[in-house]
Amino acid sequence: MSYDRDTLEIRNFQWVGKKVGFYGSIFIIALVSVFPVLWMLITSLKQPGNVVTFPVEYIPRDPTLANYRAAIEGAPFFRYLLNSVIVATGTAVLDVLLGALAGYALSRLRFRFKLPVLLLILGTAMLPFIARLIPLFSLARSWGLLNDYLGLIIPYAAFQLPFAVWIFQAYFKELPDSLEEAGLMDGLSRIGVLFRIILPVSAPAMATAAIIVFIYAWNEFLFALTFMTEDQMRTITVGIALYQGEFQYPWGTISAAVFMSVMPLILFMLFFQRKVVEGLTATGKA
Amino acid sequence: MADTVESSSGSGYEEGSRRQNRLQRYRDLRFSEEELAVILLTPVVSFLLAVSFYPIFDTIVGSLYQGYVLEMNPREFVGLENYRSLYGSGPLLEQFLSGDGFWNALRVSLIYTFVSVPIELVLGLGLALLLNRDFKGKYFAQAAILFPWAIPTVINARIWAWMFNGQYGVINDLLIRIGILQTPFPFLAKPDTALYSMLFITIWKTSSFMALILLAGLQSIPDHLYEAARMDGASRIRQFWDITLPLLKPTLLVALIFRTLPAFQAFGLPYGLTGGGPASATTTLVLFDHQLTFNRLSFGEGAATATIITLIAAGIAMLYVGTLYEPEVR
Repeated sequence: MSYDRDTLEIRNFQWVGKKVGFYGSIFIIALVSVFPVLWMLITSLKQPGNVVTFPVEYIPRDPTLANYRAAIEGAPFFRYLLNSVIVATGTAVLDVLLGALAGYALSRLRFRFKLPVLLLILGTAMLPFIARLIPLFSLARSWGLLNDYLGLIIPYAAFQLPFAVWIFQAYFKELPDSLEEAGLMDGLSRIGVLFRIILPVSAPAMATAAIIVFIYAWNEFLFALTFMTEDQMRTITVGIALYQGEFQYPWGTISAAVFMSVMPLILFMLFFQRKVVEGLTATGKA
Repeated sequence: MADTVESSSGSGYEEGSRRQNRLQRYRDLRFSEEELAVILLTPVVSFLLAVSFYPIFDTIVGSLYQGYVLEMNPREFVGLENYRSLYGSGPLLEQFLSGDGFWNALRVSLIYTFVSVPIELVLGLGLALLLNRDFKGKYFAQAAILFPWAIPTVINARIWAWMFNGQYGVINDLLIRIGILQTPFPFLAKPDTALYSMLFITIWKTSSFMALILLAGLQSIPDHLYEAARMDGASRIRQFWDITLPLLKPTLLVALIFRTLPAFQAFGLPYGLTGGGPASATTTLVLFDHQLTFNRLSFGEGAATATIITLIAAGIAMLYVGTLYEPEVR
């Protein structure tokens, strides 16, 4: 009797220990993941004089929003945000459109040269960006697309198109054949099946592709830095990276600017986390 | 199939309804599968040829000329001169180990890539195994772990530049508090530690991305394999080596390609963190190329460097596919 109770207690103890260990490690990993952003928030709320103290202050004494005002007044912050929204949305729309059509052809139609076409499309994902920068820069210049939203949307869409195509073809491959057969029996043409049956049920793939492409376009730096030379046309990423205050190291102001620029993305991630995970896992399933 | 279904255009009872009219339009647009594939793929393929393949081709050609892009300098054909000037002088190995310019950048990029990616892979796999379980608060844990991946690289660089600050940085403060350091250390001002710091940051940022891709692979492994292994009395470690790893191979391939190629092209992190310094210790190949092209306006050498980057990237991709790819039977 007592023996049984002892082993039970030991088991209970081990069980609790395992739980604590498990949740403890999850907590530590999550903390390490969010700490830098948390630190920007803490820094941004400090009084300007308290930003550069050592040992550092972990809880801002006398918190203030002065850094935020300085960040907004020091740069066309909301203009940067708007630019990013326009570029990222435009890129996502273009890639969803082209990606869905190509993905359908590659997954559900029989035609010659399918493998070479698939390899060509996916192969472009492996081409280095720097090797495309200068020729596209001079093309954009001669077409008057520097400091123009299209000047970024076109290259971004091209760079992410392989991923969009991949997501759609992986999704379409899983759809049952009966769906299309029913449409064909109703007398629809193949294109009718695509537009009236397949595309309406592919909202999950569209959302996934759109989100992944959107995040890419929002985060891109090399092309955004090179193609948008006017301050008013900079994306938020470039705007923050080039942010210079009046003083040499306005870390409080920079922290505020960084936190404000990362915030929309964090909310976006919280809302669309499941979609993002699905999308990444769809690309990973190969 | 589509061609054999008889067209029913013109039957009287369809005329009234608008829905039927719309259906009618789709019935009249009849293409064979082959024709439809050409129609659907032409825009995509021509787009990619114009915006991805043409520029690479142009860069390769441009690497043989001087005064490339700059209209005031007429292009002059110089053959392989741009490559020769990247090469410098002295024996190959010596240049690679201690050279400057191109060789330094190549060394930095190779260290950066082949140190960070394996560590990310191991950490990512650990994270994925942890997240593969069901637990309370999984949603928030996943969101938190995805955080670093969503932060733009160059903004991330600014954040860490502040945290690694040699005088007021929180990293110094924490290390002093736990007794590892006595006085603040200027991590980003010393060549060695600047590169280690950069490695640390990139590992921090992309392990979560690795984890998500691997998580998908883990979830595609059928449970009954593990059940059978348990019945046979296989330990967890054995299950991992004999079931998890072999079945994860295709996913590992994707994860490795997805991480190695971008790591080899790192630009935003060194640009925002150290600007490539101190003394070029963190100048990656792409940053070096960018400096050649935009600071020194040496377009020919810039194009030559870009061509070399393309060749190495293609080599890495083929190496991975060659060693890990198993042809699928469909």
